[in-house]
Amino acid sequence: MEPRDERVSKEHLKLLVEGNLAWEEVKKMLRLRPKDRDRFWKYLEILQERVPWKDKILLRISDHLYIVAKKGGGRVVKCDCGHEFGDYRANWKLSCRVYVRKTREEMAEVVSVEEALPNANLVEMREFYCPGCFALLAVEVVPVGYPPVSEMFPDLDTFYREWLGKPLEDERPDWFQDRTLDIPANWAKEA
Amino acid sequence: MGICYQGKTLKEVVRERERLFKDTGYAYGLEKLELVESDPAKFMRFQMRLVAACINARETAKLISANPMSLVQGELLFLLANPEGDVTSASYGLAGHIQSFPFIIRSIADLGFEEDPGINEGDVFFNNDARYGAPHNADCYNWVPIFYKGELIGWTVGLNHITDVGGLQPGGLGVISPSVFTDGFTVPPTKIGANFKAHKWWELHWKRRTRTEAFNVLDDKMRVAGAVALQKRVMEVVEEFGIDYFRRGLREIIERERRVLIQRIKTQAVPGIYHYLNISMVKYKGVVGKLFAGSNRDWIIHEPAEVHIRPDGSLHMDLEGMTSEGDFHCNAYEPAVRMLTSLGAWPMFAYTSTINSSIQYMTTWNLPPGSMFNPQNPFAATVMSLAEVGKYVFMFHTVLNYAFFARGYLEEYLGREPDGVGYGLSGVMKDGFRWAGGDMTLITCCSCKAFPYRDGVAAAFCSPNPAPDMGEAELGEFLQPTQLNIGRKLVPNYCGHGKYRGGLGIGMCQMIVDPGQSLTAAVFASSGGMGRAATGMGGGYPGINDVVVFAHDTNMRELLKEGKSYPRDFLEVRKWLAEGRLKAGSVEVYNTATPNIPCKDGDIFASASTAMGGWGDPLERDYALVEDDLHYGWMTPDAARTVYGAVTDEKGKVKVAESNKLRQQIRKRRQERSVDAREWWREERQKVTKKEFPEDVYNMYADCLKYGKFRREFMGMWQLPEDYKL
Repeated sequence: MEPRDERVSKEHLKLLVEGNLAWEEVKKMLRLRPKDRDRFWKYLEILQERVPWKDKILLRISDHLYIVAKKGGGRVVKCDCGHEFGDYRANWKLSCRVYVRKTREEMAEVVSVEEALPNANLVEMREFYCPGCFALLAVEVVPVGYPPVSEMFPDLDTFYREWLGKPLEDERPDWFQDRTLDIPANWAKEA
Repeated sequence: MGICYQGKTLKEVVRERERLFKDTGYAYGLEKLELVESDPAKFMRFQMRLVAACINARETAKLISANPMSLVQGELLFLLANPEGDVTSASYGLAGHIQSFPFIIRSIADLGFEEDPGINEGDVFFNNDARYGAPHNADCYNWVPIFYKGELIGWTVGLNHITDVGGLQPGGLGVISPSVFTDGFTVPPTKIGANFKAHKWWELHWKRRTRTEAFNVLDDKMRVAGAVALQKRVMEVVEEFGIDYFRRGLREIIERERRVLIQRIKTQAVPGIYHYLNISMVKYKGVVGKLFAGSNRDWIIHEPAEVHIRPDGSLHMDLEGMTSEGDFHCNAYEPAVRMLTSLGAWPMFAYTSTINSSIQYMTTWNLPPGSMFNPQNPFAATVMSLAEVGKYVFMFHTVLNYAFFARGYLEEYLGREPDGVGYGLSGVMKDGFRWAGGDMTLITCCSCKAFPYRDGVAAAFCSPNPAPDMGEAELGEFLQPTQLNIGRKLVPNYCGHGKYRGGLGIGMCQMIVDPGQSLTAAVFASSGGMGRAATGMGGGYPGINDVVVFAHDTNMRELLKEGKSYPRDFLEVRKWLAEGRLKAGSVEVYNTATPNIPCKDGDIFASASTAMGGWGDPLERDYALVEDDLHYGWMTPDAARTVYGAVTDEKGKVKVAESNKLRQQIRKRRQERSVDAREWWREERQKVTKKEFPEDVYNMYADCLKYGKFRREFMGMWQLPEDYKL
């Protein structure tokens, strides 16, 4: 096992993740060249210690969300509260609770300057919540009918095998195939 | 016999550049970096000497200019390129242009400049035509060839953003232009001088075709002088290191740094597919009237991107589905796209010891023919192409922020959204003197979005310029005496909220004084009224619109006579109007660029921009941060309560128990008001099926559904029949 790169210690990184690292220390990390090569593994350790569940985190994809490996097989998106959003190959927004702010008044609850409000005649403000803890996970300001934006779809097998040099046990060619449109297709069938 | 090494023609070496990379995967086929590897210290000295020469050219030449954007706001750049057009060294300044210059050289090679008009020592060339490599006509390039014993060994270039381009609207940021014929003074590549000097006739063009002749003539002299001075410095380096070293060294800079960029992506990012979206608005309806029938409408501008971080560390940007070309100001060509978007690439991953065009060797783009950024109409207007290309600067930020965050390099996260309000002016003074001007204060100084670990920083940087400066109000007033600055400040509550809030937007407020016979202002805004960005980050709200307010026929003169204070930003203008302290005959409020606005003495012109987006759920914001915001006046107690669920006392202290309870109530309200995605989808689908769209939205979809990729996504998401048509 490679020795830890202590130029960025796990403790420092933890403080950064929690928003408690002094700005001067953050700047030192910014200037660090080359970067600490074991950052990802330290990051995963910290994240794993912060969540109340045991599923193995493969990647953090948002403030509350992780792609995790399920023991019985499968890679799913999971909130730190424990709620699971299903196969990571589909946009997790389609497994959220959704609230749409349609009027100026509704938008004004979260936009505190009236002159700067989005044009409610042309766009709606969508809020995506975790169905488990009702944390706000994403906001979109788009015209009605705009397909939900998929933020990121990581190529996990390439990442772990080629970039990190530690292939995942359940590698499969179809892991990197977007399955988002399967969800509305199923909904349409059920309708 | 060509002018390049070994008697090759310019056209031959430009083609060879492309072929060698395609065949080998290395810039110029350089699998081995002999100079770098044999003596890295010498190579570094070589490289730094060239950078120093560029900076020296900038710092001396800019004193010739009288244009405040060049003098104090950093809107200029000096470059060294190799014969093939690759920029190998640059001064600080408008760094994006490093990416467009290679296209200019390719253009003059294709146009046969070597044969006619010829490329000789001492020749001076010019281009500001977007079709041939300049992003838009406000960005003017002058360049001179460097010859060594009869061989073309490079180019030195001077570039700056000029004050006025002679278009339909005053200034250099005009946002009304139906075609190239209304763009203003646009000159395709032209030999404008010999013996290291521009011809006398060239001055007449600036005098007759633009509004700010003196500024523009001096800017032209500045660009030429800087390029010539840089050439002399470069020749010293050639003498010191030898021509063989120089020739190969420039190529090794590009290949070495290509490898650095690839390695940086592989070290800090995560491969995969990422999405970015911006939605904006361009308003022409009722502005140009019957004269330009194709322009008498509004457009919702759709700007999606699918970014592939490939297994080999290169990046591919697919912009299929974006709005089609139109009779508006914001068409663009690939050089403009590469130029401006590099401003998102530099801070995120493309920084190296010298900024250069190596990024072109690890990025590819899909810009579908007929789309806004690949117009097929040769007369498409491009005067403010950067207004919409600029939205893709933030694509690199958004996408790589996700990637760096996922990889654990949180410190590399840097969030930005479309930003900046600027204006152009033209007028006639009391004595008949015609003048014009422009200002970029709120473009050259911006706040940034929240980080995943702290609030966004206020007044931190400039989008188009890594070496920015807000400039001096006094210099602005000297050159634009009608614009009296009565306020420049951060605007409270003016940000996207989140666990960490975005950097507060910046506002300025001016009073119009003694405009004489007439004064017209045309304001550029980065937002299109739809919000600052289409998506928030990590559960935070995206940034909010630019604001432009004109209050006409005011009582400001009386207030000043009475020695009373005056409003300092648009919020105070609104408050004072409501209270009756400020009186106005009429008030105009815009969230978009404006048409030409006639101004009179005593009018108020207040503008604000860069109200950036937040990160994370606002209900998770630390109470101590809420208290800080209240203490410094950045947030009002009302916003703290409504958005952050923080109840405060009269001293601004958070009442913890009450706040915890309020946050619980807000979460409960979320539960009650929201529906399962499936139910939401059903409702939304119904509207799509019935085509229940507002007119402008309908037009946007009708246009973008012509593009296969967007059509597949749209049809698939809403499960529409194959014959669905708008």
